[in-house]
Amino acid sequence: MSPYGTVLAVVLVAMAIAFVALLRERDDLHRLLLTDLAEIVALAIIALVATDLAEALILPGLVVGISELMALSEVYLVKEGLRSVPERLMHIEVMDSAPAILAVALVIYGIVLSGFSGGAVAGCGLLFWFFCKGHDEAFEIIETASGYAWALWIVAFFVFMIAPAYWLFAVMLAGGGILLKVMAKMALVGTMRGGRDV
Amino acid sequence: MFDLPIEGAQLMAVEFGDIVAYFSVYTGTLFAFALLFTVLAIVSLPERPMDIVFGGDAYYTKEIPLDLLRFQRFMAIACGLATLGAVVSGDIFNFTLFGSMIGITNIGIVAAVRNRHVLEAAYQYGIVAMVATVPLFGGAAIVLASTGTLSIWALAGAAAVPLLAKIFLILGVMGEGMAPFYIGKAEITRAPGAPYVLMIHVSSLLLFLRVVEIVLTV
Repeated sequence: MSPYGTVLAVVLVAMAIAFVALLRERDDLHRLLLTDLAEIVALAIIALVATDLAEALILPGLVVGISELMALSEVYLVKEGLRSVPERLMHIEVMDSAPAILAVALVIYGIVLSGFSGGAVAGCGLLFWFFCKGHDEAFEIIETASGYAWALWIVAFFVFMIAPAYWLFAVMLAGGGILLKVMAKMALVGTMRGGRDV
Repeated sequence: MFDLPIEGAQLMAVEFGDIVAYFSVYTGTLFAFALLFTVLAIVSLPERPMDIVFGGDAYYTKEIPLDLLRFQRFMAIACGLATLGAVVSGDIFNFTLFGSMIGITNIGIVAAVRNRHVLEAAYQYGIVAMVATVPLFGGAAIVLASTGTLSIWALAGAAAVPLLAKIFLILGVMGEGMAPFYIGKAEITRAPGAPYVLMIHVSSLLLFLRVVEIVLTV
């Protein structure tokens, strides 16, 4: 059997395990979490193709999975009538002392990385900051930055198509734009709870 | 590929590199149906169900809140667009993406109704739709791994796609298009805002017909 066949068999066993777990689980919330487990198996099957194309297919697969997960979580909240926003999720000492330095370090490292992964790292920094310090008034700035980033990205695409000689400039623009865009998206994770600022 | 019995005559083919979006008599018919019902979702006003008090003359009409109407109509139109994409797509992975988009918009249409019973059914359907993306994407990935392409045009008539991938595709579409069963369970057809529910039935029917075509073609 080819290596692909062998690993595919292993992944199919994992899929069977995830499905059996789903069948046996009775609690609704736990079921929702288990579907995430099954989604990861789907990503593994795509990843098995092991070409550049597989990499390009994983992203939409991931996005679809996450959007369904978010939609279902929202349905779950409404279904169970969970309305009250927790006052304070967690408070430990490190959340008073660490946010500034950790957030700055992550954001600077993200800018050094640039592009998609840089945006994710810098977004984690911002996310940590909001988690520790609250996030009441920051959304407006983030939306503005995200809008400009989008425009930069589009401009970069036009440069690629109209003036390909300036490709390095366009790469820098697109890298910076996507950095800001992903960072802004990441920073919103978990802060959208339907409060007065949203 | 149009010598295959299921397709019928070729009407149009649009090439995007190796991916070819094509209209045969079969997919053209599906497209026309999807278009018709999308237009119906755009122009129709919601039904206002009437309740009659048993043993008397009294009756009352249920009002549909404007935000519920807007949300359901938006979701129905989005569902129609996803169906249009799914029936003409010439790429198996794009087809699976459109399929899961149909699943998400169907959840949206059902979940808009603020009724615990309906929401319960929407949630259970959502779990099924989410799990169904596993065989759906898995099937597309196995097609890619075993043949090296996702283009239905290139794969047509070659019988190169393994049976496992076809079974996975059908299983996935069954999960994504299962909404009408949950609609029956939720009795949403009697809930306010009825006409948009039609789109759920249309989209899953067309999705089933399209996957049959794909499985018989590749």
